[in-house]
Amino acid sequence: MSANGFTKEEVIGALHGIAAEMHDRMAKGEPPRMTLPVRTKQNIAFDNKLGVYKYGKKRSTRDATSLGSARQLLRALHVSEFIEEMIEAGKSSTLREMYYISEGWGHGKFGSQNESNNLAEDLEIVTKCMREDFKLRPEEDGARIIGNITFEERNRKGEWMRINCRDDVGDSGYGVPYNVESEKLKLVDHDVDFIMAIETGGMFDRLVENGFDDDSRCALIHLKGQPARSTRRIIKRMNEEWNLPVLVFLDGDPWSYRIYASIAYGAIKTAHISEYLATPSAIYLGIRAADIMSYDLPADDLSSKDIQALKAELSDPRFADAEWQNEINLMLELGKKAEQQSLAKYGLDFVTDTYLPEKLAEIMGR
Amino acid sequence: MVDAEKIASKQKQISISEFFEKNKHFLGFDTLQRAVITAVKESVDNSLDACEETRILPEIKVEINRLGNDRLELICQDNGPGIPRDSVENVFGKFLLGSRFHAIRQTRGQQGIGITGVVMYSQLTTGSKTSVVSKVASDSSAVYVDLGLDTRKNRATKSNERRDVWFENGQEVRHGLKIRTVMRAKYQRGRQSVHQYLRMTSIVNPHASIKLIVKDKEGEIIDQGHWVRTTDRLPRVVEEIKPHPHGIQLGQLQRMLKEADERKLTSFLRHNFSGVSVRAAKEILQAAGLEEGRTPVRVKADEAQAMVEAFQGVKLLAPPTDCLSPIEEMLIKKGLSKAIDSRFASTVTRKPTVSLGNPFQIEVGLVFGGDLQADGPIEVLRFANRVPLMYQQGGCLLTKGLESVDWKRYGLDHPGGRGLPKGPAAVLIHLASTNVQFTSEAKEAVADNEEVFEEIRKAMLEVGRGLRNHLKKSSQRKKAQEKFDLINIILPEISKKTSELLEREEPDLAPVITKIMNAVFLEDEIIWDKETKNTICSITIYNYTARARAYTILAKWPEADGVCIVENPRGGRKETTGLWNWRLDTLDPGQSAEIRFAVSGLSKGDWNESDVFFRGNGEIIGATRIDEKLLDEMRKMDALAAAEAEHAVPKTESIEHLVERTPYPVNEGNDEILIDGKDPVGGDSETASIDLWAYEEGDE
Repeated sequence: MSANGFTKEEVIGALHGIAAEMHDRMAKGEPPRMTLPVRTKQNIAFDNKLGVYKYGKKRSTRDATSLGSARQLLRALHVSEFIEEMIEAGKSSTLREMYYISEGWGHGKFGSQNESNNLAEDLEIVTKCMREDFKLRPEEDGARIIGNITFEERNRKGEWMRINCRDDVGDSGYGVPYNVESEKLKLVDHDVDFIMAIETGGMFDRLVENGFDDDSRCALIHLKGQPARSTRRIIKRMNEEWNLPVLVFLDGDPWSYRIYASIAYGAIKTAHISEYLATPSAIYLGIRAADIMSYDLPADDLSSKDIQALKAELSDPRFADAEWQNEINLMLELGKKAEQQSLAKYGLDFVTDTYLPEKLAEIMGR
Repeated sequence: MVDAEKIASKQKQISISEFFEKNKHFLGFDTLQRAVITAVKESVDNSLDACEETRILPEIKVEINRLGNDRLELICQDNGPGIPRDSVENVFGKFLLGSRFHAIRQTRGQQGIGITGVVMYSQLTTGSKTSVVSKVASDSSAVYVDLGLDTRKNRATKSNERRDVWFENGQEVRHGLKIRTVMRAKYQRGRQSVHQYLRMTSIVNPHASIKLIVKDKEGEIIDQGHWVRTTDRLPRVVEEIKPHPHGIQLGQLQRMLKEADERKLTSFLRHNFSGVSVRAAKEILQAAGLEEGRTPVRVKADEAQAMVEAFQGVKLLAPPTDCLSPIEEMLIKKGLSKAIDSRFASTVTRKPTVSLGNPFQIEVGLVFGGDLQADGPIEVLRFANRVPLMYQQGGCLLTKGLESVDWKRYGLDHPGGRGLPKGPAAVLIHLASTNVQFTSEAKEAVADNEEVFEEIRKAMLEVGRGLRNHLKKSSQRKKAQEKFDLINIILPEISKKTSELLEREEPDLAPVITKIMNAVFLEDEIIWDKETKNTICSITIYNYTARARAYTILAKWPEADGVCIVENPRGGRKETTGLWNWRLDTLDPGQSAEIRFAVSGLSKGDWNESDVFFRGNGEIIGATRIDEKLLDEMRKMDALAAAEAEHAVPKTESIEHLVERTPYPVNEGNDEILIDGKDPVGGDSETASIDLWAYEEGDE
């Protein structure tokens, strides 16, 4: 069982569908092909029913009329076969392992790890399965959590293990596993009022040291930059199953906007599974462009790359509403960006004593 | 009196030393780094010239040993004819020993003051003698002698002279020369180094074997090189020619008049100059206002001046050009590929031309790809009469001719269209001339000359077109190769995998392949057959379209004396020189056909890339549609050459003359083309391209 409830037969059947499309075409004397949604910001649209951003209607055809595309098709077949073998054998592998295993696939081998990652995503999109169904694990680091919440995780022996993320963990917190679906992780109990997702490790540790989780009755989750799928998924589950508000505390720069968007609206690369990963009610707490001025934070000038990123965001459908357009334009006007840790200008306790309480009051007031 | 003599001799000695000191920049000894290059150069040039004259394949060895305190020991050895005992002093000791002024021909040793300069430099900077070992084949033993210079008497001083058998590595040396000298100099590497000089020398002297070994004070090897011989063909013996009036200056004419044996000016002109007929001699004298019977020795300066002016006004025959010794395309290719690892070489030897009465000839070679550096300006290898030019590159006419071409059009990066182009390429430029004009006495940069410049430019355009073709061909070939990989490797694997996964029958791929390719492809390959020593050209045409095709295929091959097609099972016919023609009447869908022919008379590597053209409907990927208009031009050129051979014209007459006399040639080949009515010529003949081989739609 997985998030979308596919059985292993269904997963294999879906993969065979890809091979069948190719075989049918060849039998008709046509070049084999695979049809995929276009995976750019031009082809994501808000899904009213799901409340998240999903791929639109644009499709691209990958057919065997050029060498590059033909190789991709061959790789897709090799990957399908490999997944089928893993499902049958009850094994799993990391994406990186699959990349190395492809060394033995002759003309179907991958040129880079990025290629194999992208192809795994392609297969998810076409089959509507998730990579957990494919027994493929990411390399990426899951998040860590500290706060008075309790999970049950199934350990390697297959036994359920109860963990309280405040009392049963050290300073580094509870490490989120790559699979956070119900067959692996159960959300048992909590005694917090909200969840706060934090971009940088430095700020996470600051809040832990200052006892912010206890004082403010919240669970802290460290995103480690652009959050991994499992991080977004567990945030989503806590939000849905426990009905807890999610506040996102990031740096004040163009890249943080994208992190927020991937948590709240869905990421472009994973728009096919946005409904499993995105938390539409998540609130962007800071650092806001306006904070740079009102708190007089030490700020850096925007680089040309930053400006490029902001301008790209202006035409991103996820940032189309007036509030985001204002936010982005304000940062462009200021020409500045600030880190979370620039709050330390006013002392180590400023963030927990002044900034966050003020921000929380503002949000609760709305 | 004794004191006075002493002072006088001292003064003279000082003055010669001073002369050397003052002029060392153009003698090539101005810096310690350059001194050793010049010394090697003088020695190697002499060796190559001597070997060429006596038809010996040169084996040259250069050894340099660092002695510390900026002193180097230089040992140069060759297998040349050696120098007879009695001439040793003259060759090594006579300062400014001039060659005969009247004889004009292309030699290397026009530079500097020769090996004497080395002896003098060594003596002046270290006080040491130069040791010489010389063995002449007819003598039973070699001469060993140490040489110094008596700067007062301008001649060599000999010491320690003896005769002995000369052994090298346990073998008796039959003939050769070895010199050993110690001088103040510095050995360095880089663009201006002994290594580079010898490398360049080996490129333009593919018949020579050259070795270099450089050791430091401890005897450790710090630099070395070995450039092997790539041809056993010695450069052709060059003819001496008399000067042509168009290139004569007043001083030279006066000297010739003074030394003349003739009693009459008419015979003086006819005997001492090339290109002067009886009629021309009379016209010259008439124009100069001189009587025909005047005695040459008595002609006054103003009268000589009038003669010089008259020379320019009278129509004269061009000087003969067989006094030049070009390296020739094939050998340039060999020389370049020996020194530089590259993928592609394009070479051009232009026809000899005349500027101001001096015959000259331009040769250019371009290599591309391989190990050559892709960023930064291309490497320029300049040569005058087979002598490398290593300094003053920017101010040299040869460089200017190269830079005048818009290289962007030919596939090299050329920012702003100025200066040297950039890219993984090297260009060799060789100027062969009886009289190379340099910008200065340093003889490192060729002086401006419009005719020479134009010839260089034309040669550059030719090799440029070769490069553009090659690049176009490689990209076409790459694309075609990808398609072949796709249908031959990837597609069958896709079919196999899907069938395995689904447990279904494998589909028939033939219609899929036609859909994917939808074109006619041509692959060609040149193979060297070790056993037969033949070069085999294999051309395969694949029809991956849905209907039958018919084509005429034409392939370029290096036709020349002694190079011929020995196997050609498909027959065909000769289209024109260096171009063969085959008809493929039907090529059904999914079918392929091979044309294979073997060429004898070439060495391995002489022919690496073929050019394949076609006539017929529809494109062929991997071949170029032939430009009929230019093919006609080629045929006319062929006919001219044939007519020239038939008439067996006397050597002194120029080709221009011949063109006037020969009736316009009618080529039978033309009719054949007209009969070949299936080939749609019309569309193409509109577009005239300058270059047959570079023809391409939209090409200028």
